[in-house]
Amino acid sequence: MSVVDELARAGGTALYLQRNYDVLRRVVADSLRRRGLLLEPLREAVSRHSWVRKLLWRALPREEGVGLHGAFLYVPPGLRIQAPLTFCFVVSEAEQLVHNIVVVDEGSEVLMTSACASTERGEAHKGYTEVYLRRGARLNYVMIHSWMRETRVTAKTGVEVGEGGSFTQFYTCLKSSSTLTSDSRALLERRATALLSTLYVASPGSSTTISSTLILAGEGSRGEVLARAVAVRGAALRLPTRIEARAPGSRGHIECRGLQLSPDSRIETAPILCSLHGGSQLTHEAAIGKISEEELYYLMSRGFTEEEATSLLVRGFLETGIKGLPKVMRPQVEAVLSILARKAVG
Amino acid sequence: MALLELRNLHVAVAGRRVVKGINLEIERGELHILMGPNGSGKSTLLKAIMGIPGYTVVEGEIMFEGRDMRDLKPHERARMGIAMAYQSTRPIGVTLSRLIRELCRLYGTSPADVSGLGLEELLNRELHKGFSGGESKRVELALTILQRPKLALLDEPDSGVDLESIRVVGKAINRLVERGAAVLLVTHTGIVAEYLRRVDEAHVMIDGRIMASGELPHLLREVRAKGYSGLAGGGANERS
Repeated sequence: MSVVDELARAGGTALYLQRNYDVLRRVVADSLRRRGLLLEPLREAVSRHSWVRKLLWRALPREEGVGLHGAFLYVPPGLRIQAPLTFCFVVSEAEQLVHNIVVVDEGSEVLMTSACASTERGEAHKGYTEVYLRRGARLNYVMIHSWMRETRVTAKTGVEVGEGGSFTQFYTCLKSSSTLTSDSRALLERRATALLSTLYVASPGSSTTISSTLILAGEGSRGEVLARAVAVRGAALRLPTRIEARAPGSRGHIECRGLQLSPDSRIETAPILCSLHGGSQLTHEAAIGKISEEELYYLMSRGFTEEEATSLLVRGFLETGIKGLPKVMRPQVEAVLSILARKAVG
Repeated sequence: MALLELRNLHVAVAGRRVVKGINLEIERGELHILMGPNGSGKSTLLKAIMGIPGYTVVEGEIMFEGRDMRDLKPHERARMGIAMAYQSTRPIGVTLSRLIRELCRLYGTSPADVSGLGLEELLNRELHKGFSGGESKRVELALTILQRPKLALLDEPDSGVDLESIRVVGKAINRLVERGAAVLLVTHTGIVAEYLRRVDEAHVMIDGRIMASGELPHLLREVRAKGYSGLAGGGANERS
């Protein structure tokens, strides 16, 4: 069965697969190609379309030496794509530097997933993704990554959400690396909305920093940052979050919760609210705790072993972070959460 | 052999003896009602039978199907066939639908087993978070039914709920009994008994001891006539 057939069977619409610096697959459903959807290596896109060059490093601070080894996706105006467009990046040797640009034009609605992974010989992955949503565009972005423990990972995402646009991002890792830094930031124009959600289980002895920033630049813009993080033995997890309100009528909320399954784990939340305009409303709540004995014994009295009860509670904890997840992605993300919950107590 | 046999059971909570020498036998399929004033030790007794930590058996025995339960953890007792519907509990960080799914998997039951208990609107919510009193009671009974227990310990399923909910609670208890479960039902007021098809025996517990046992109508008359304080001097396991 061809990749296209598999994709169609899974309800997918486009696939971009890159191993190290080689593009292994690039598939776009004919119906989308005919309507003007572009999916190509960024290097080709920059050489063919002068306007793409102008987008380089606009939504993210410039990183020297990254190059143009990544994907370019352009979704033309007025397109609604319910099935996921999928990006896969695999590092199987040395270091992989990836730069992606995604442009969703006016009024379009897209579901995009990224599946990034490493193999044993993949030493480092550095991914930089810039997303530009034009007026009224909507993008649901689900990132499900899986890293070998030894791979050093840096993932940065910069997003500009145009007037009335909407961006939601769910980030989770099936397997977390021992050193991971993730930084997502979104700038919202007038009446734009954004949700940045992180569901993360830090592996034993790992060091992880996951930062999320929203800039409410336009009047009436609204944004929320959600984080659900679990730390097992020896894991150190930092969750800096920031919402900056620059316009009247803007509203933002941070909800950051950490769960420590081991006394020698460490979780640090640092929610920052910054209002530069009196007419904005910003709130935050943060909590770090352990599983309560009362909850544990309640479930044990229903017949679950201590490990099963703990796993159920971890899963329940993570599940509270998936509100707003597109229905079509729910089965995949729920499957990931089940695996994470089992591994957390394993 | 009785399904449950309590022999001279004493239970302490935080070092204080709360249950003081209970003797009780429940046969398979029997429904027993345990009444008594607040603080008499009824809930403590149920939690000790379930093996909840902090409810320590300091003397006597809990025998279930002839086996001493002393060293068994709560999940082992549950898997032997004991289930408990709690009187009150703080929110549990699991959605009701997830817990129902897991219990059905564990005990080979089906969500259809608890149809008609009004759970539909609660399924996607975190268990007991923001539930009304009636909702919590219905959910606790539903989860107990899904465990297909041999013995169901029901802690005040009729307290703090409206009459409509009590009717549903009665229906759920009848369903448990129809399926062959024995029931030890703790009630403060006895109101739920009006909705039960059958009660085999009732007991009055005061200050950690069973002061009277017999048929429910007789005991209810006694309680209404004398009050619990009036029964306090009646002697243990008095028969009507």
